[in-house]
Amino acid sequence: MSKKIIALLLCVVMALSIAACGTTTPTDDGGDDAQKTYAIVPKSAGNPYNEKEVEGFKEIIEANGGKVVVSYPTEATADAQITCINSLISQHVDSIAVAANDANALQAVLTEAMQAGIKVSGLDSAVNKDSRQTFAQQAGIKEVAQALCDAVLEIAGGEGQWAIVSASSQATNQNAWIDAMKDLMASDDKYAKLELVDVQYGDDEPIKSTTVTQALLSNYPDLKVICAPTTVGIAAAAKVLQDQKSACKLTGLGLPSEMAAYIGEGDDFSCPYMFLWNPIDLGKLSAYISMALVEGKITGAAGETFEAKDLGVTYTIVDAADGGTEVILGQPFAFTPDNIEEWKVIY
Amino acid sequence: MKKNFRELSLVIVLVLLVGAVSIKNPSFLSLGNFAEILKNNAVTMILALGMLCVLLVGGIDISVASTMALSGMSVGLLFKFNIISSTPLGFLIGIAIGAVCGLLIGVIVGYGKVAPIIATMGGMYIFRSLAYVISDSQWAGADALRHFPNFALGSFLGINNCVWIVIACYIIFFVVLKWTKFGRNIYAVGSNPIAAEISGINVAQVKLCVYTIMGTLAGLGGVLATTIYASAMPSMQLGSEMDVIAACVIGGVSMSGGRGSVIGALLGSLILAVIGKALPLVGISAIAQNTVKGLLIVVVILVNVITQRAMKKRSLERREM
Amino acid sequence: MAGKSGRTINATPSNRLKGAILSWEGLLVLIFIAVVIFCRIISPNYTVENVLREMPKYLSEIFLFFPMAFILMLGEIDISVGSIVCLSATAGCLFSNMGLSFPLVIVTILLVGTICGAINALLITRFPELPSMIITLGTQIIFRGIAEIALGDGGSVAVTDFKGFMSIAGKIGPFPYMFFLVLISAVIFTVISVKMRYGREVMAVGSNRDTSYYSGIKVRRVIFIAYTVMGLMAGVAALFLTAASYGANTTTGTGFEMDAIAMAVFGGIATTGGKGRMVGGIISAFIIVCLRIGLGQINLNSQLILLIIGVLLIFAVLLPNISAMIKAKQKTKAAK
Repeated sequence: MSKKIIALLLCVVMALSIAACGTTTPTDDGGDDAQKTYAIVPKSAGNPYNEKEVEGFKEIIEANGGKVVVSYPTEATADAQITCINSLISQHVDSIAVAANDANALQAVLTEAMQAGIKVSGLDSAVNKDSRQTFAQQAGIKEVAQALCDAVLEIAGGEGQWAIVSASSQATNQNAWIDAMKDLMASDDKYAKLELVDVQYGDDEPIKSTTVTQALLSNYPDLKVICAPTTVGIAAAAKVLQDQKSACKLTGLGLPSEMAAYIGEGDDFSCPYMFLWNPIDLGKLSAYISMALVEGKITGAAGETFEAKDLGVTYTIVDAADGGTEVILGQPFAFTPDNIEEWKVIY
Repeated sequence: MKKNFRELSLVIVLVLLVGAVSIKNPSFLSLGNFAEILKNNAVTMILALGMLCVLLVGGIDISVASTMALSGMSVGLLFKFNIISSTPLGFLIGIAIGAVCGLLIGVIVGYGKVAPIIATMGGMYIFRSLAYVISDSQWAGADALRHFPNFALGSFLGINNCVWIVIACYIIFFVVLKWTKFGRNIYAVGSNPIAAEISGINVAQVKLCVYTIMGTLAGLGGVLATTIYASAMPSMQLGSEMDVIAACVIGGVSMSGGRGSVIGALLGSLILAVIGKALPLVGISAIAQNTVKGLLIVVVILVNVITQRAMKKRSLERREM
Repeated sequence: MAGKSGRTINATPSNRLKGAILSWEGLLVLIFIAVVIFCRIISPNYTVENVLREMPKYLSEIFLFFPMAFILMLGEIDISVGSIVCLSATAGCLFSNMGLSFPLVIVTILLVGTICGAINALLITRFPELPSMIITLGTQIIFRGIAEIALGDGGSVAVTDFKGFMSIAGKIGPFPYMFFLVLISAVIFTVISVKMRYGREVMAVGSNRDTSYYSGIKVRRVIFIAYTVMGLMAGVAALFLTAASYGANTTTGTGFEMDAIAMAVFGGIATTGGKGRMVGGIISAFIIVCLRIGLGQINLNSQLILLIIGVLLIFAVLLPNISAMIKAKQKTKAAK
């Protein structure tokens, strides 16, 4: 009997306290003249690449008098990002820039955000076209693919076997680049003598990336080039090749600070050169997009332009391959033995 | 006799696995390849020893991966910011950090009487987030670690330094568990804690020691992982506690305590290591590798159980005669 | 029986109220109120509407908590639920895209979950030598692995026709439908655990398996049901999770098992089996959810949130243990 009373009591108290906290709904903090709040949701915490994006984003917003909210997901999953974005909607932020862990999973929550009047844009890794107004693309997919294909061709010396070590089979970016590389190689005769023998996934874990690289080397003794378009994978692969003093060389996309020990000329180094864009600039571009959206200068339609003062460029929004729109930061940048010392301290 | 048979069945499984992979891919059967397997899995193999002790006293530790991240990340950052530059000192600091983590868990489990899975689950969250907090979103890559990764490249008498550490750990644990009072106490506590308490063993103290040992090994593992892969990141070794537990269980270590041996842990982690190494080698499509790994683990464990059942039945029959 | 009175309740009416407040559940309610007030102070956006709007993801974890509570009371564990959620969500999305009507998609999701649960149940009851942790560790890898294979390259699927999913993600006032479903499930599971034979059997098996077996309880059946229900509820969670994201991917549901276990433990359900009550778990589930939402709203570093949860977990078990130890010591002193 007493138990029933207790249970009932508990329920009442719980309901009351929930109600109590909601009776005084605060008005949206500040009017239009107040400081605007710009949110950024990176892919995960504890990753220097993401951190540099955030850094660039913060720099521009704060220089222009805005307030920045960084909401890190607990894990590198779309589920965790949904939680973050939900919380940001509650906080009535003015814009959300998101580097998506999954292209589709954020659609419901981002649509809700847009309905609540929040400007939504993507950066680094896109959400699908229905869940964004526009997207800050680090470098055109074709440009990245072109740069990587040419690097593979040059390092291989015009012919031979090559392989890919990617992050995971579900990484949107990686797949887009890999597909574009395959298309490009099929369409141009100069790549005809190159043979893509295998695509392996290292799940962005050093252990697994190491194992799959070793497997590639023993399965294909004549392998000439490995292309790893992922930061963890390229570092792990570079270490394997360098330690084994393998004749197989490496290129791909990586962080200069992580790769500095492997980039160099000659047999002592495993990576002659590799590419990346500047994540700080990408964060800055995303900040400019967010501000232009919030200020109503752009709506995210193709053809609109906005000025990115700090980057010294006026950007134009263009149509993206997925049917949405995007803004392309620029060309991928090559890190060579000549410039790596200079860049490794920056990011 | 019975015990040896169980280990023999594991050896057979291991040989069959190696044989099957070698038929599919002859390059598997080379000395260099086995050296790679040992080096790649040095961390899991060492942690399996600690987990063996923890499981022997009837506990479990799912915080080890986080402890590794904390110790590896700390040492990585110390090198990155030029605070230390001596490799042995790096090892010492990492091991000490691990030992403190283990000690904490040990006190909570041993004296606070908190169920091991809860205490270590808490530890898993706490240590991992500490690793994130101290990292300040930075990694320590090959360049930042400077000469530290050279340790994992060096070798002594033709055997890699990391493998030497594994060998040393296995010899020490084999001796301690088999021939010392402490080793016998561990088995006693796991088989029957009440009886052990009555017969004068300080159960709480034994548990404290066991978890501290586990933490110490995790600290060592974290540093080793940093030197082997020349990188320290806060997310390192995520989920590897399950590999370690799986290695022990494959090796016939009982999760209810009191049963298991160093040889079993060795064989279990070797089987797991061979599976991990073989999957990309035998041309199983990348997408199916996780499933096949899971299936193989389950099958190996089930085969182990079934042979044990058959053995029991046979020994019962013999007794009836 | 053990199940009927998990903790002693004083018979005299004057002590009843005191007993209610001093019981673990009473304490939890106080903590809950404290948490809500705390969150209200730190975040101006902590309103009923916002909390309820942010709740769905956590609510789907609470679905997992109910059967997990039974499994923990049995002294077992299930770490494969996150993967079951992933596999059933994947199956649902893929079948929906193949043109299956929405009611059938619901059936598929629930069925896949139940089958996965039954597979766990079968392995665990057929191989009692093996701890449930290791079996569910294996199936954890396998279930997610199958989802990975089914999803293929890209590892992600979006539902093309999400009208059905949208409809179940609807709301009555500020309350999402699933909130009511959680409440209904809470009532059902509480009644089962307190009033029904099965609840008592779970407690008995969890306290002492051999004794229960010899006193005529079908131990295997009890365990089998618990794991199958776990699978079914994982299906329910998957359904609502899909409704919140219009799709599934290979990371769907990662970490759900740990969250569900944490909710149970925080509510006083012992992982060693035979102890704990449903009500405590339900309140503590809401404590964790409300706290996480509140801390999320002030954009506290997500890793620090995990740190806080880790500390709370340990203290939730440690403090009662310490107070019990002190009491025991006082008793022995008094006896002397």
